[in-house]
Order: sequence, then structure tokens, then C-alpha cells
Amino acid sequence: MMTPHLNRIYLGAAIVFAIIYLFPLYWMYVTALKSGSEIFAYPPTFIPKDPQWGVFSHVWEVRGMGRFIWNSLVIATGTMILVAGLGTGCSYVLARYRNIWIDVALFLVLMLQVLPASLMITPLFVGFSAVGLLDYPRFAVILAVTAKAMPFFVILVRATFMAVPAELEEAALVDGNSRVGAFVSVVLPLARNGVLVSAILIFMQAFGEFVYSKSIIQDVNLQPASVGLNAFMGPNTVEWNNIMAYATIYVTPILAAFVLLQQRIVAGLTSGALK
Amino acid sequence: MTQELQIELNGVDKHYGAFHALKDIQLAIPKGAFVALVGPSGCGKSTLLRSIAGLETISGGEMKITDEVVNNVPPRHRDVAMVFQSYALYPHMTVIDNLTYSLRLKKTPKAEARKIAEEVAATIGLENLLDRFPRELSGGQRQRVAMGRAIVRRPKVFLFDEPLSNLDASLRVHMRKEIRALHDRLGATSVYVTHDQIEAMTMADHVVVMRAGVIEQQGAPLELYDRPASQFVAGFIGSPAMNFVDGVTNADGTAVTLEIDGAPELKLPRQVACNQKVTVGLRPEHLSISAAGQGTITTKISVIESTGSTTYVGAGDTGKITIVLSERRDISVGDTIDLSINAKDIHLFDPHSQMAI
Ligand SMILES: Nc1ncnc2c1ncn2[C@@H]1O[C@H](COP(=O)(O)OP(=O)(O)O)[C@@H](O)[C@H]1O
Ligand SMILES: [Mg+2]
Repeated sequence: MMTPHLNRIYLGAAIVFAIIYLFPLYWMYVTALKSGSEIFAYPPTFIPKDPQWGVFSHVWEVRGMGRFIWNSLVIATGTMILVAGLGTGCSYVLARYRNIWIDVALFLVLMLQVLPASLMITPLFVGFSAVGLLDYPRFAVILAVTAKAMPFFVILVRATFMAVPAELEEAALVDGNSRVGAFVSVVLPLARNGVLVSAILIFMQAFGEFVYSKSIIQDVNLQPASVGLNAFMGPNTVEWNNIMAYATIYVTPILAAFVLLQQRIVAGLTSGALK
Repeated sequence: MTQELQIELNGVDKHYGAFHALKDIQLAIPKGAFVALVGPSGCGKSTLLRSIAGLETISGGEMKITDEVVNNVPPRHRDVAMVFQSYALYPHMTVIDNLTYSLRLKKTPKAEARKIAEEVAATIGLENLLDRFPRELSGGQRQRVAMGRAIVRRPKVFLFDEPLSNLDASLRVHMRKEIRALHDRLGATSVYVTHDQIEAMTMADHVVVMRAGVIEQQGAPLELYDRPASQFVAGFIGSPAMNFVDGVTNADGTAVTLEIDGAPELKLPRQVACNQKVTVGLRPEHLSISAAGQGTITTKISVIESTGSTTYVGAGDTGKITIVLSERRDISVGDTIDLSINAKDIHLFDPHSQMAI
């Protein structure tokens, strides 16, 4: 039993950590709206005195953000489709069969997750260059991000499949279905939430991807918003309001989607497949 | 006797890695038979049933369904229906969709499939539940849906894996009769797995007793009861379980002396090997209590349990011998009593091989 007193301390601590964690986000929004002089004012203001709402359309035009966002969307969508398409079947097999080789495979999958992108990029770059993939840089990035994101997806979706009793599938087999048919008509619908939520998380992750895109995509017209933002920040930058406006445009849709879906995301990842 | 066989197993073996789950299974099931597979938990009943369904691939031997070797035939081409212990209803489908699932796979026209399912639903009392999801049903209703899903298919063979074990006792007794009646009405062949020997005895034409992956004995229910081939079967079939007492046959092999207080001697119905150690099996319902001095086994009552209709008496110092009485008797704990038994009801087993003598 927790005493109310202790409860209040925990709540207070949670709020403090949330404030610390969310402060940069708040600072991004207010800085975007401040005028040039207010940004550097001391002491800093926490609410912009004269919000510059025009900054967003200005940045969108000047930096050609439409193109950047489009490229981010292409990479994120491509990655999500590839990961979900390849990873779902893989997770299912890893969930259904139990033997030593499955454990080896799972270990390797997890090891991939441990290797940092900045380490992987050099061999990937050399390899992609050798097979001519650098001529299709966005596709090359999709492949690289897919490989990076796959373990995360497989671990989540495997757990979802494991929650679907094998007997349901066997009932479908005896009822006259093939293995593939039983998977599609019984297992997949029951695992749907877990698969969808994991795919959305992959999308969000790929939408913000930076390391691979920065190294592989040289052509500005094909770069995603993350690389565009990085290019915006030169060593002598003073346009902090414009940069923050860029960042705001970049992350707000994703943030909004996450907040709107968060209940379903949490439910999809924690509840069993059957309810 | 030539009878058309529905299922035939010749020397079927099943290995899970190093574990030998089914050993040289020999089983012939005639068309229209109701066969019960019975045995303690873990003896391989489900494995055998799942092998017949095609959910497990057998490691050796031959399996035939209606004269066709099905060793490598997938479940969907075997035309068998299965009722699972967990019912395995599709949680994302309504009752009617569960019932018509197999028909839809066979591309039965929608209206016709619905009509068939509704007819079946009516015969098993599900007609008002067709649009519910499985989670909205009680245990008994789910069990019925599982049965209905099998019946809708009109399969060659019904396979049941402990279908009643999740129901309460009174519903279980009721469903027992209903399943058997259904079997008779459909003229189907059924294989029914249970760990409950009473279910097996009351429902089946043919009972197969399994132990540790081996068929210990098979035959008609009363045949198993009257002539158990081994001490295991004798102890498994019948409730309460048969009493086993050590004994030695006498010098001419016509009687046996029990190794309990008073060393009572029981006459045997036929001559057996003389001066031999044996295990004597006495069914509780075959023992009767007679007035002192009139029976063969003199002992003391240590426990009395009465259910009203039936009285269970434990006799001997530790209540080791159980007697079942169907009439009320004026007896109490501590009384000295005499027990008697008809010679024809005495079973003898070899203490080493545990086989019947
Ligand atoms: N997939 C499996 N892998 C390994 N061993 C199994 C498997 N399925 C069953 N067994 C083993 O086979 C034996 C028989 O199991 P089962 O047929 O389920 O017994 P029951 O008679 O209780 O239905 C058990 O000892 C069980 O542990
Ligand atoms: Mg079982």
C-alpha cells in the first residue's frame, strides 16, 4: 500500500521530469514565434511578446520545405511498407517455431539493433556504391533504414503473434484451410492491432531518420526534412526563429498523430491479441 | 466379422525429438463406431488424436482413413472435424461466422451456408445466439458452438479432445448423453479423448486405454471392466478403484491367501500356479458385508462416507480396502465385520509383470 503522502511525492517527481523532458519542445515553439531581438533578450521571455505568425509560411517558401517533407514521407512510407511486408511473416515464423535455430536467429536480430547507424553507414555506403544503389539514393536509404528498424518491429510483432493461441490456427486447418489461408483469415486479424501500431512506430522513426539520409543522399532535391534542417544550421546561424519554425512544421504533424493515437498505441502494444 | 473400417492405424509411432510419445499404435475403428481414448494425463491421447487430424505428422507406421493412406495428407484433405478442449472458437467472428467458416472455404453459396448453419444451430439450441461473439457466451454455449462448427461440416470423422472438461459436473453429465445421441443421429464415426473413465465407459462402444504412449488394452467397456488385462487397466477402469492386496496361492492353486491380518483364504474360480506370489484385485462393489463369522475376510471398519444413495466403507487399519454399499446398513466405525466376495469376481495379477493371470 502506498500512503497518500508518498503518492504525492511520486506525482510531483513525475511532473518535474515531464517538465524537464518537454521543455526543449516548448522552447522550440516559443522561439519560432519570437522576433530576432527577443530571442537574444536577457532575461529570456517565456511567452513571446509579439508572436510572428508569418514565420511559418515564410520558412516553408524560402527553404522549399514542401520538397523536403515529401522526401521524408517517401522514405517513411517506403520503409514502413517494406518493414511490415517482410517483418510480419518473419515475426510469425519466429513466434510459432521453437528450436535452437530460432533462438540463434532472434539473437542475431537483436544484435543488429545494437549496432549504431553511424557505424553501419560506412560499410553500407561502400556496398551500395558497389552495386549501383547510390543512383537511387532514396531507395538506398529506405533499404538501410528498413534493416535498422526491422529488429524493433520483429520483436514487437512476434510478441503479438505469440499471444494468438496455436489452437485457433489448427482449428482453421482442420476446418479446411491451408496454412497461408489460416494465417490470413485467423491469425492476422487477431494480431492486427499489434502489427498496425508497430508499423506506425516504424513510420515515425523513419520520418525522422537522419544519419543514413545525410550520408547517402547528395542531391538536395531528394533529401528529407531532417537533412534540410541540418543544412539550415550553419556555424554562424542567427536565424533561430526560422530554424525553430522549420522544426515546428517538421515535427508537429507527427507529434499530433502520436498524441491522437497514443491510447490505441499503448493498448495495441500491451493488450493481448484477443479481446 | 468383416466391417468397413473408417480409421486404421498400423504400428504408428510418434517422436518429439528424443521423446517417444506414441509407441507402435495398432487401432482399427469401424464406420459408425464411438471410440474413447482414455488414460492418465500425458499418456499421449491428444497426440494420437492430433495425428489422426493431421495436425501432427507421424514418425512411423501407417495411417488410413477410409482405405486411403493419409500419412502425408494435410488436415484439410482428411475430411475430419475436431472439437478442441479450449473450443478454439474464432474470437473475431460471430457465432454464425464460426459455424459457416468451413462452408465458406468450400465455396458454399452464402444463403445455403447460412441455412445449414441455422439448422444445426437449432438442433443444439444456439438459434438465439447467432450474432454474438464467443466472448459474449457462457462456457456451455461456447462448447455448443464448437460442436456446431464440427457438425455443420458433415465430416467422415469427429474428433473430440476432452470437450467437456471445462464444464461443471451436471452440465458434463448432460452433454455426455447429448454428444452420444448426436453421434447416433448423424451416423458418424467418433474418436473421443478423455481422462475420465466414466465418460469413456458410458459413451463409447469401444474403449482404448493408453499409458505412456502405449495402448494398454482395448475392447468393449464391460469387457475392460470384467477382464482387465493388467493391473493398470483394472485400477483405471471402475470407480472407486479396485482394491489390490498381496497374496500367495496355496499348494494346489485353487485358493489364495491374502497377506493381511487373519490371513484369510479366498477360493479361486479356476486353478492357477501353486505357491505363487500374486496381487489380488477385489472391486469395492463386489465386496459385501456379512455378519461376523459368515464371511471370509474379517476386518474392522475405519471410515464410513455416505452420499445418501451410496455408502463407501474403508476397512482395515488404514482403510485400505474400500467397499461400496448401495443399501443402508447399521454399521459404525470400529465395528468388526466379515467381507465376502464371489469367486468369479476375484482378479489375479502377476506382481512383477502386472499382467492378469
Ligand atoms: N509439441 C510437443 N513437443 C514435445 N513434447 C510433446 C509435444 N506435445 C506433447 N508432448 C509430450 O507428449 C506427451 C503426450 O502428450 P499429450 O498427447 O498431450 O497427452 P494427453 O494424454 O494428456 O493428451 C506428453 O508427455 C507431452 O509432454
Ligand atoms: Mg490432452
